[in-house]
Amino acid sequence: MSTLLAGGRWIRADLRARTGQAVLTVLAVAGIVAALITAATLLEDSTNPWRSLSAQTDGAHVWIYTKDSPQVPLGGIDGVTQTAGPYRSAPVTVAQNGKKEPASLRAMPATPPAVAHPVVAEGRWLDPSQPDGVVVERSFARSLGLRIGAPFTIITINGERHTLYVRGIADSADQGFYPEWTPGLAYVLPLMLDRVEPMLGRSEWVTGLRLADPEASQVVSQRAVVLLEDRLQRVYTWREVRAAMELDNRLLGTLLALFGVVGLVAAALALANAAGGRVLGQLRDLATLKSMGFTRGQLALLLLAEHGALGLLGVAIGTLAGWGVMAAMLGAASVAPVPVLAIVGGTALAVLAAVGVPAWRGGRTPPIPAAPAAPPRGHLSRLARLALLVRLPPALVLGTRDAFTRRVPAFLTAFGLAVPMMMITIGLGVWATLDNFLAHPEQVGQHAALYVKPGKEEPAVAERLASQDKDVAEVYPGTDVNALAPGEARSVRVRAIGSSTSPYPFPVAEGRMYARQGEAVAGQGLLDLLGLKIGDRVRLTVGGTPLIVRIVGRTVEPEQDGEVLSVGLDSLAAKDAVPPEYYALALKPGADPQEVRGRLLASSQEGLDVQAAVNPADRLSVIRVVIVALIAVLALIGLANLLTASALGLRDHAFDLAVLKAMGLTPRQVMATLVTGTGLLVVLGVGVGAAAGVSVVTGLIDWQGHTSGVGAGIGRAPSPLTLVVAVLVAVGTALAVALIPARRAARAQVPVTSR
Amino acid sequence: MSPVVKTVNLVKIYQDGAVPVPAVRGVDLQVEPGEFVAIMGPSGSGKSTLVHMLGGLDARTSGEIWLDGKRVDTLSESAWALLRRKKIGFVFQFFNLVANMTVGDNVELPALLAGASPKVARERRESLLAALNLTDRADAAPAQLSGGEQQRVALARALANEPSLLLADEPTGNLDSRNTRDVLRLLSEVHKQGQTIVMVTHDARVASLADRLVSLFDGEIVDDGRIARRRTRTAGEVIDLR
Repeated sequence: MSTLLAGGRWIRADLRARTGQAVLTVLAVAGIVAALITAATLLEDSTNPWRSLSAQTDGAHVWIYTKDSPQVPLGGIDGVTQTAGPYRSAPVTVAQNGKKEPASLRAMPATPPAVAHPVVAEGRWLDPSQPDGVVVERSFARSLGLRIGAPFTIITINGERHTLYVRGIADSADQGFYPEWTPGLAYVLPLMLDRVEPMLGRSEWVTGLRLADPEASQVVSQRAVVLLEDRLQRVYTWREVRAAMELDNRLLGTLLALFGVVGLVAAALALANAAGGRVLGQLRDLATLKSMGFTRGQLALLLLAEHGALGLLGVAIGTLAGWGVMAAMLGAASVAPVPVLAIVGGTALAVLAAVGVPAWRGGRTPPIPAAPAAPPRGHLSRLARLALLVRLPPALVLGTRDAFTRRVPAFLTAFGLAVPMMMITIGLGVWATLDNFLAHPEQVGQHAALYVKPGKEEPAVAERLASQDKDVAEVYPGTDVNALAPGEARSVRVRAIGSSTSPYPFPVAEGRMYARQGEAVAGQGLLDLLGLKIGDRVRLTVGGTPLIVRIVGRTVEPEQDGEVLSVGLDSLAAKDAVPPEYYALALKPGADPQEVRGRLLASSQEGLDVQAAVNPADRLSVIRVVIVALIAVLALIGLANLLTASALGLRDHAFDLAVLKAMGLTPRQVMATLVTGTGLLVVLGVGVGAAAGVSVVTGLIDWQGHTSGVGAGIGRAPSPLTLVVAVLVAVGTALAVALIPARRAARAQVPVTSR
Repeated sequence: MSPVVKTVNLVKIYQDGAVPVPAVRGVDLQVEPGEFVAIMGPSGSGKSTLVHMLGGLDARTSGEIWLDGKRVDTLSESAWALLRRKKIGFVFQFFNLVANMTVGDNVELPALLAGASPKVARERRESLLAALNLTDRADAAPAQLSGGEQQRVALARALANEPSLLLADEPTGNLDSRNTRDVLRLLSEVHKQGQTIVMVTHDARVASLADRLVSLFDGEIVDDGRIARRRTRTAGEVIDLR
């Protein structure tokens, strides 16, 4: 009790004396813990919105698209408990604020079905008294900026315009979120669909199957494929829907986890360094405490409590912040308790381990207060001798010597700066990669900036109008079709574009471009999905027609998790390829896609449907926010290390300052000595960190690209200029931070007392 | 009455590399309650080491130390620490105030450690600071005080746990003459109230304040005698030479 009281006084007094450093420690730890919790939550399966959406809507597990209403008893397949539909569905284009978005208009009854019933989030469900009502899937509504009561203008395949009104916005687990999953989804009454699109040949039928065991979806869909034969258009299971919903979460989660784990190491180091430095600076006080009656163990506990409490406070704040951010973004139920507890426990242990060693050393301080805690003195280091040899000014020689007098703290300081700098470099590399997506869209498969669909016009007219524009360099006719993969019982995207002899310039990362009919290139995701490698032959079924191609190369494929096969249009059967669905326009360098789009719309009297390609970097722009936040946390860690180093350097010099001045060094030279001591470590740490970062960043991003299906070959290191600026800013800030106390110390009247 | 502190053939040998350096070589010392003993000697004569050993800050190489009738040289470091809380107060040459704590907290700390309640500790600190004329500096940081003031605070701190033995290691070694006089006056006042004091000094004038002078040379006691008081004692008293 008495020790607690006395120890409490001491801790309070000490924390008051170093508030800034304490706050920095708390913030750094909090930032890392928040990043880790965010990462764990994003990576954790339960955050995937599919799970709760599927539970809320009693979602179907397999979705089957057929050309006409299925005549076979799909509900009779073994393992199917209930069916939804079949519903008729028609492809339309939604015109909203000058943008045109693809949508599929699905006929649903006024009484929601038992299985796969959309859950109305706003407004009401479809009502026969308001036949012009439409219920829009939530992500689609958000992307279009639709609200309840807003007009919903649709353009059918034959170019007719109809205006419906949004009566409700609903959540659905039927498909992934818009715009990752296209087309968007909207529900109307069957009567309305008949009026909008009377042609049955232009629509398809959608049937959902709910299974007793979701794991059986593979078997069930296989069975459906066999039953339906060539009536089947495409089929997908809940796994694809779930994967589509988690796409960005996984990428963000991986990024945060990488930064979080390495950051934790850096933060633990910083904490150990700060605690160690503080203990070293307080040896005299600790000895005094011992002379007053603190035992070795009590003193160690006292230090552990003080420094550990800062870390634990950081853990607590970080947990709250991470939990708060996730609860705000994904809902309170999204944060799984087990990983959060594991992170809290793990980081708390890391914190205590980090401060444990310095605390133990502090406890072993001899109790004779007069014993000076001078740095180990001795010969000039090799570096310092070199500095002397090349006749550097004396202040620099002294500083160089001082930098390495205490080897362990010197190493900790340099290493403690190197780790954050490495991570910052990696962050800048990610940034550069995104910039590269934007600057060179052709390297991520977006050679074409605009996609023209004939719309009201004849395809030939569309092609002629497009190729006549002065800024259009090349026109590639193309069609996207869904193909069934053998044994997978699910659909993959086949993109037929250009011709085999003048192919669309896909960015081929491995192998070569296809050069004749029957050759194809594929994204990493497709190769992984079907277990293929370059050189393999693959047989797919497109609307009943087999498509047999040999894969000759791997492209960088940012769409559909890389599960896309690209072929020339001539590789496709004529019934699928003629007329082309769209024309991809490659523009001349420097041309503005929006300008070209405007011209094309004007020249066709709005008859054409012209879409600009969405760059993957735009979709991933939230990563930039994360990078900035992480760089801030890492900078805090670096700063904490720096303050420790600077304080320790000053302390070691308290003796020398008077002597140095007596020897004839000016205050400016004294200051230079002090700054050189810290600065050398800073330059070393920052340099090593930046070099390490540059050497791993491309590989890391490519590895992430490989696992996400996009494929290796996208990684970019930060540009030399960015890197030089980052290094200069880091070193400059560090020197500025070191300069302030050094300046004060150099100017101060130094009492000639022994410490 | 048993002596407050007694040493029997106390030896301390420092190990400097392979070379043993004897600092204290067989000291027999006995201090009675209420005595004020000054230990004098040139630099390196082992006087600081002796005092540190008496307070348990330094471990003895051989010999015995008895404190209040109990043998203490065999105690562990932790047991020594607990003993110091109750029985020993230290004053050091360089004051050794805890830099981050206020003057008030510095004085309260030993009282709290000795087991006093916060209220009692506060009362004790107030009476001590008032006695030392430092009441208005209670909330100041040690660095804001002059050397003399700091040493007075250190003295207050050493007395806060009401120790049976006050050990002072060159308490005036770092002070000017005026502050030296102040500190010495305080020491002598404390002594008059019955406090047992062992003080190390190399200044004969400071030592003259004590009522017994022990001279140390090369780690051995070469002289131990009571100091005659011209005013307080009658003339012709026999000086006890050993």
